[in-house]
Amino acid sequence: MLTILKSGIQTCIQDLGRSGFRHLGVSQAGVIDTLAAKSANILLNNSPDTAVIEITVGLCKFKFDRPTNFSITGAELGAKLNGKSVATGWRYYAEANDTLTFASSKNGLRAYFAVQGGFNEVTPVMNSLATDVQAGFGGLSGRALQDGDVLPYTQFDPLGSIGAALPDYVNTIRVIPGPHIDLLPKDNQQHLYDQQWQVQPNSNRMGLRVASDIDMSHNLSITSQAVSPGVIQLPPNGQPIVLLNDCQTTGGYPIIAHVIEADLRHLGQLHAGARCQFQIANRPQAQQALDQQQQHLAQLKIAVLHHDKKNI
Amino acid sequence: MTNNKTYILGERALVLEIFQTNLSQHQQNKLFALHAWMREQKVFIDIVPAKTTITGYLMHSQDPEYWLDRLREAWEDIEPEAFQPTVHQIITRYGKSDGPDLDSVASLTGLNPSQVVELHSEQSYQVKFLGFLPGFAYLGDLNPKLHLPRLDTPRTHVPPGSVAIAQDLTAVYPSESPGGWRLIGHTDTVLFNHQLESPSILQPGDVVKFIPSTEGIC
Repeated sequence: MLTILKSGIQTCIQDLGRSGFRHLGVSQAGVIDTLAAKSANILLNNSPDTAVIEITVGLCKFKFDRPTNFSITGAELGAKLNGKSVATGWRYYAEANDTLTFASSKNGLRAYFAVQGGFNEVTPVMNSLATDVQAGFGGLSGRALQDGDVLPYTQFDPLGSIGAALPDYVNTIRVIPGPHIDLLPKDNQQHLYDQQWQVQPNSNRMGLRVASDIDMSHNLSITSQAVSPGVIQLPPNGQPIVLLNDCQTTGGYPIIAHVIEADLRHLGQLHAGARCQFQIANRPQAQQALDQQQQHLAQLKIAVLHHDKKNI
Repeated sequence: MTNNKTYILGERALVLEIFQTNLSQHQQNKLFALHAWMREQKVFIDIVPAKTTITGYLMHSQDPEYWLDRLREAWEDIEPEAFQPTVHQIITRYGKSDGPDLDSVASLTGLNPSQVVELHSEQSYQVKFLGFLPGFAYLGDLNPKLHLPRLDTPRTHVPPGSVAIAQDLTAVYPSESPGGWRLIGHTDTVLFNHQLESPSILQPGDVVKFIPSTEGIC
């Protein structure tokens, strides 16, 4: 099993999230960076929806009790296997008693750590292993991992190292205008796109709160409607909230924009104080960006299969 | 013909919005009938009714315009009779420690506590939609005599099972959470259990009746 020696700031079990229960008020949860999580699994020949560990900030330490292959993707958080650096986007082999540590970084926030075959003895809740820390279910006992937790996994023979760089993280986030943007004065509509937005410290997995010097406060009220990760709400204080995976299923603030699916991965890497811009996009561009990511994953899968066949 | 619009939110969320503050029972049941129609299409990964909208999340982002057209047509054609709700009875103890705000609700509305209990429990409510917490059902419409705003300072801990009111709605807190609604009673009925295949007792469109517990009447 994998022992969590140091759990860090927020380390939790996530998969691609919960679906089919939003009408009952059940949040999506799941990994914020699906491209990173899917890549981590592809590197290990796991099915793409296998649960992985999402590490926020870093500062954590794990110990393996038996040999297996593992992979790390997402942000570069100074990961080391027995004190020796391991690269993000690569697959490695751990022996019994090896330790894996994560430091932290100014340039990224979330890393993904997967083991071959995934973690055993974790029970799905509503068809998902994703931890919903707000609702208190999923993952391990519905909470973030704590020091001393153990996660059983299966022993495997070495597969050999392989890896590939993922597309870079950027802080220009493409968005499609939302249904209530037209309710704002024209000037404010433009501010969304021409401002540098700074990520606020009270951001979390429910939402990324951003602020700028421009006053976008308003007294518009709309009727609550369904919301989901990527929705950008504008509360009356004028400081937008970009909803993330643990957001509620309905919300009553005006929806001024929606982050395109392919760019949601960047949101998970923006730490407090980081700056970002929003760039207007249309639906065909969003689809094209998503197609590119699918191609990237398909190529990675072929490369891994080819590598592993050669080495049998 | 109702005034409504349909639009795509983001890449694959289809929204039908009815421009009205409150839906008539006819429109409300039409919306739930549309919910059932949307489920039958098997193209939506999630379908979320809200107060005056319904949102369907397509499994794939291909061809949202096609499904938006189908949704618009379905809304025009659908009959409210296609929807048959399930009815639930929720045994409730009102007042005292079970409903710490019952007395203040009574004084703010100019009623006495037993009149508040009577007005709250004499009628049926419909689950308009769920949100806020897993299994938190917004039940309407509350008798206008009981309409009050939320508390100025929300409680940091509302116990699970609390029966509460706010504005034109009533609800039962399914789990412990912060909350600004006024607590008038308590039920032992478990509304949400994440281990069950159908985790929420209350589904959109269901009908709920509060039954005052004989031991608990003020």
